[in-house]
Amino acid sequence: MIVTVLPMTNTGGYEEREVVVRLTDVRKDFGDYAALDGVSLEIGAGESVAVMGPSGSGKSTLLNMVSGLDRPTGGSVVVGGEDLTRLNEKGLALFRRRRIGMIFQFFNLLDDLPALDNIALSGQLVGLKASAARKRALELMGELGIADRKNIYPASLSGGERQRVATARALMNRPSLLLADEPTGALDSRSGDQVMQLLMDLNQLGQTLLIVTHDPRLAAQCARRVIEVADGRIARDSSVNAAVVANGAVVAGVAR
Amino acid sequence: MSAVWRASRAAVKRRRFQTFILGVVVMVSSAMAIATLGLLAAVSGPFDQAYNAAKGAHVVAEFDSSKATAAQIARAANAPGVEAVAGPYPEAVLHSPSETGDHPMGLAGSFTVVGRDRPDTPVDALELSAGRWATGPGEIVLNEPSFIGLLAIKSEHEVVTPDGVQLKVVGYAASASQSAGGWVTPDQARALHSASLQMLYRFKDAGSDSALKAGMAAATKGLPSDALTGTSSYLAIKANLAKGPNTYVPFLTVFGVLGLIVSVLIVGNVVSGAVVSGFRHIGVLKALGFTPNQVTAVYLAMVTTPAVIGCVLGSVIGGLVGKKLVHQAFFGIFGGDLVMDRATVPTWVYPVVLIGMPVLVALSALIPAMRARRLPAAVAISAGGAQQTGRGLAVQRRLGGSRLPRPVSLGLGWPFARPGRTALTLSTVVLGVMTVTMALGLSASVVKFGQMQKQTDKIQVIVDVNDPKWNPPGPTHSDDQLFALLRSLPGAVHVSAEAPAVTRMAGSSGIVRVGVESGDTAELRPDLVRGRWIEGPNEVVVSSEFWHQHKVSLGDTITLDTSDGPQPEKIVGEGVGGWDVTTLDWNRFIPLSMVQRAQSFSVQLAKGTDPQAYATAVARIDPGLEATVNGASDTIEKVIISVVSTLTTMLIIVSSLGVFNTVVLNTRERRKDLGMLKSIGMTPRQVIAMVVTSVAALGAVGGIVGAPLGMLAHRIIIPITGHGTGLDLPDSMLHVWNWPMVALLALSGSVIAALGAYLPARGAAKAPVAEVLRTE
Ligand SMILES: Nc1ncnc2c1ncn2[C@@H]1O[C@H](COP(=O)(O)OP(=O)(O)OP(=O)(O)O)[C@@H](O)[C@H]1O
Ligand SMILES: [Mg+2]
Repeated sequence: MIVTVLPMTNTGGYEEREVVVRLTDVRKDFGDYAALDGVSLEIGAGESVAVMGPSGSGKSTLLNMVSGLDRPTGGSVVVGGEDLTRLNEKGLALFRRRRIGMIFQFFNLLDDLPALDNIALSGQLVGLKASAARKRALELMGELGIADRKNIYPASLSGGERQRVATARALMNRPSLLLADEPTGALDSRSGDQVMQLLMDLNQLGQTLLIVTHDPRLAAQCARRVIEVADGRIARDSSVNAAVVANGAVVAGVAR
Repeated sequence: MSAVWRASRAAVKRRRFQTFILGVVVMVSSAMAIATLGLLAAVSGPFDQAYNAAKGAHVVAEFDSSKATAAQIARAANAPGVEAVAGPYPEAVLHSPSETGDHPMGLAGSFTVVGRDRPDTPVDALELSAGRWATGPGEIVLNEPSFIGLLAIKSEHEVVTPDGVQLKVVGYAASASQSAGGWVTPDQARALHSASLQMLYRFKDAGSDSALKAGMAAATKGLPSDALTGTSSYLAIKANLAKGPNTYVPFLTVFGVLGLIVSVLIVGNVVSGAVVSGFRHIGVLKALGFTPNQVTAVYLAMVTTPAVIGCVLGSVIGGLVGKKLVHQAFFGIFGGDLVMDRATVPTWVYPVVLIGMPVLVALSALIPAMRARRLPAAVAISAGGAQQTGRGLAVQRRLGGSRLPRPVSLGLGWPFARPGRTALTLSTVVLGVMTVTMALGLSASVVKFGQMQKQTDKIQVIVDVNDPKWNPPGPTHSDDQLFALLRSLPGAVHVSAEAPAVTRMAGSSGIVRVGVESGDTAELRPDLVRGRWIEGPNEVVVSSEFWHQHKVSLGDTITLDTSDGPQPEKIVGEGVGGWDVTTLDWNRFIPLSMVQRAQSFSVQLAKGTDPQAYATAVARIDPGLEATVNGASDTIEKVIISVVSTLTTMLIIVSSLGVFNTVVLNTRERRKDLGMLKSIGMTPRQVIAMVVTSVAALGAVGGIVGAPLGMLAHRIIIPITGHGTGLDLPDSMLHVWNWPMVALLALSGSVIAALGAYLPARGAAKAPVAEVLRTE
């Protein structure tokens, strides 16, 4: 593991941290449209980072770079010490199943597996026996307070429950990084708060978090570090004391 | 692998319906494949086995005993290439022997008796089915097809030669080589004025006519050139037997191939549908960390499982149906008893189909599965439901500007949204229509063939004459009296008489079946493939089977044995079916028939005469007559028509399922659009109209393309079938189409499409809007 010194948090202190994510000058072009335009970023272990920005600014694209769901046009992406740009499709899949947990706005559960099996499937993917995978899945469901929903199919779960199942699935293989793209976007505020609370609790336990959200309140509440993205660039990073930003394109995004 | 398995099981569950279709399609194709391969194998397999087991003779040869001695013939046979021989045996021909006792077979007019000292010879080993071998003078063993079953030997069974020699029947045996009508001791044969020697050969290479010719040339080297007077080859027996399966093989093959193509199309369509509608699913799998290979495996496993189940079920069904068909194929064919017991679907067919079908299915699933593999994960996961393609939208816009009702113009746009799927569906419809067309044509031709053979257009009543021995009472009138009586009944226009006889032809050691006719034969003659009807003495018409077997042509002269000695007969025509040879030389040939008198009369009635009334009247003139109205269709025709309609029904079901599947995929993908359209006020009826329109257009195109293709296939298959069964078919058999029928067939595409579209259309129309808009 790469160990380095990292500028840390609003408290201004410096601590020694493992770097979990390091993006260096990442570009992503769709045709001649630059969705990401030179993004560099480091995230240390145990951090909880919120990514904010207007719609279409490149937040999801950024997340896809980190999860290896998509490849950058330029620059390098190193996650958990692995250079993702050097991995082939299979390598990326193996990387994802062991290192990354993902939570989506619209849950993305498999409709034809009951809640428990949706969670256990991830475990089976890394070679757990079906019984062992179910056992761990059930423990997770218990911790997330949805153990009694284990045999229910996604279609019959409430939105909040679905997102908790999705979270349990993301945690199944003890990922070094938990990615969440608008995890509360499809939930009412109460369920949204519960899911956010859950993520904060996980972070307290040492889980590294990268959350995309539109909601400044949630961002402020749960993340100790907020990154604002605008037009494919990082407009502001709260971990950097001053708002050091390219082209002064700053903060406007938050207001929008 | 267990994660892959889990995910594919879930995918199968989501697509229960498609999985079911896939299983059924594969089942039908597997069954057809098994039955077809079984029949193909039956054309030669069982015969070769049975023939080799019986050490059947590859060539049965006759030598003139005044030209070559037995010792010379035996010495010459000691040649390279000859595997085994039996003989030479003295051979005598008895013209019209009579019989006593109740032997049910009847003796042939020209009856070959061979003097053999024992049955278990190295070639043409005979198995006694009853009694014992002939060991002394005055004893005979008769050739008896084994399917007759064990005949009890009774003291009154006797064969009486024309010279009055009495031969007591001491046993029955069957010769696979059909080498003789009966066997006696060599001394007895010589006593019966044997003039020739029979020699039986097996060759190391017996694969073709030319190999047999070469073998015979080697085995007769050094003998006087005119010593060999006749040969018959086992290939003729084999070809005769192959006619049975060959009746079915061409169209079963076509149906089988069509079935396979349709299966491949449908499997491809099902899997592409799964991939297209499963974009999000694929994205989720990839996000969870399924490798590209695992994603491919999920989609392959999804189809392979139902394919394997369908294939196993289909193989069981195909095995049962195939066995029955194979049996049926040999039933009633001369020599069929030889292979009947062995005729079954050979074992090797099962692994071929059981492995081949799932592999084929997996291959047809591979292209769409590869697409799933390549699909970028980020795109997949962000894509919600349907992916409208630009092309579809452009066409939709243009159609929207047209004056068509909105649901129709919207529906017409659907096929353009997914050109790949449209192409697959269109092909399915085309093949469906092609099948229907071909099947109708085949059935019509078969019916026409039956009519032609039975001459239902010319002959309205057939009057059979009872044989007093087997079917008493016999007729009380002579042939001439019967002619006069039948003509005198009201309505009779023309009457002809017929009797079957058996004779031999110079140069061939086998028997020749002769139809002896008299009366108004010119008026009641059968349709000819070529040549003309008999106009003078010593002229004959031959069947196309005879034509091909003996490779004769118009104007050739053959020499037939008659009661008057050998007679030259000129071939003036070729008929489709019937006896090997048809002659009007009543007096010379009737003594070679079993009862030596007319066995049936054919009657043409004046227009408007009730054939039933005529038949009733016939019964009153002589109790020995049995009159039936000519016309009921033959069993073989019924079998063919029922097989064809079963296959057609299966293929129509399968094609409709293919369309069904497409429409289900389309409506499922457009669930949100449909919900939206309904939410803005589209009525259920308009939804149905839209969905049905989306495939009706395809159906119409499919019909217009499929019908001519079916007609073309019919045009190709009929002559092939004819050829395989040794028949030349007149062109009239191909002319079964008329315009209204063709127009209906072209429309049948729309029917297949509408059938497949209606249910899912109704489902889409009924789906509650709120629910549709809520999901996903
Ligand atoms: N596969 C793609 N092809 C073309 N353009 C794309 C693709 N994916 C994203 N984009 C474009 O890239 C830009 C950034 O998209 P992205 O999804 O990252 O935005 P976002 O910040 O997540 O927006 P939102 O808050 O609405 O989710 C957008 O302009 C989008 O249209
Ligand atoms: Mg986004």
